[in-house]
Amino acid sequence: MKEVVPLVKAEDSTIFGSKAVGLGQAMRDGLPVPPGVALSGSIVEAVAGGDERTIKKVAKSVRPLGGPLAVRSSAVDEDGAQASFAGQHLTLLNVPSSGELTSALSEIWWSANSDSAITYRQRVGLFTRPSVGVVVQVLVDPDTAGVMFTQNPITGADEQVIEASWGLGEAVVAGRVIPDHYRVDRSGEVLERTPGRKSIAFRTLSEGGTVEEEIPPQLVERLCLDDDQLGELTRLADRCEHVYGRARDIEWAIAGGTLYLLQCRAVTRAGP
Amino acid sequence: MTGVPVEALQRVPLFADLNKHEIKRIAGLFKERRFSEGETVIQQGSGGAAFFVIDSGEATVFVDGKEQRVLKPGDYFGELALIDEGTRTATVTASSELVCSGVTFWDFRPLVEENGVIGWKLLQSMVKIYRAAQQE
Repeated sequence: MKEVVPLVKAEDSTIFGSKAVGLGQAMRDGLPVPPGVALSGSIVEAVAGGDERTIKKVAKSVRPLGGPLAVRSSAVDEDGAQASFAGQHLTLLNVPSSGELTSALSEIWWSANSDSAITYRQRVGLFTRPSVGVVVQVLVDPDTAGVMFTQNPITGADEQVIEASWGLGEAVVAGRVIPDHYRVDRSGEVLERTPGRKSIAFRTLSEGGTVEEEIPPQLVERLCLDDDQLGELTRLADRCEHVYGRARDIEWAIAGGTLYLLQCRAVTRAGP
Repeated sequence: MTGVPVEALQRVPLFADLNKHEIKRIAGLFKERRFSEGETVIQQGSGGAAFFVIDSGEATVFVDGKEQRVLKPGDYFGELALIDEGTRTATVTASSELVCSGVTFWDFRPLVEENGVIGWKLLQSMVKIYRAAQQE
């Protein structure tokens, strides 16, 4: 049984976690996912435990991706309809190369075995030993990024809700900005365009990691998506629903004019 | 090599009476974890996931916001919540760059159950805590 596979071959969520398998399925269906490698929970634990043979094996598999890398947790029982581990398990952006991957994997393993993660598991009734796989991907350095819901998560209305900001999507996911807010109905009509207050952006550093940068005043309240980009995003939403089913929570990024799908999971709470 | 170096655990009084074979076996269960200065290692009131031994650096223990003591290399912490599956009884904060060896809940219990010597030392430590609490 292979435990280190190209992301497009990740098919077993009991081994690689649902994030890896979801992204692998997206790739198999032709969705624009950055290239990557999926690591099983056992592999991540072995790396965290300092197993040198496994560390070398992982480094060899990841080296063709080059650098910098985005390293995302993919917990084996993550993001079911009843439980969302959003925010509990780590994503590490801009890991400079495969040489720095070991410490990144160790951090991710510990994030799944942290007091807060265990407390959350107990609260949602998960008493099993955590297993966290990892997705290692080429890092996309975006001009604009954010999240998109294929069904309004507050009202349950059949419309796409998009939130966007400058730079890496972490500014939106971590609640560090008030993002632009868009609603688009199924016909493609834009129902709402509300500019946010996007005073900062996260950008990648050449030596690894990210930095918080102030946004020039003229861009803080300027809409960061035009109608063409909204159209691309809504077509991506339709394709994701076709692949995964309804009510999806999507993370996306636009870099150099290309739209990428970073994550797609079930909405764990939709409608009133 | 898997786990943490045997030498890191040999310095720990809790494991002092184990032979080399036993220490090597339990070293394989531990994983290194690093904390930056000022980082919270465990938080009072939260659920407990791991038991830690300090390899290098120092950490400060706080109960209800009041400093209690400083932990140094060879000291351990975090066992209480793992034993009764309750909440953390103190906050531990790294007071320098801190390197620990940690073992999670799922490995800690079998570790103690299979090594009566470790269990006995933990009991002794807890009796001391109990007596100190009685005298307050």
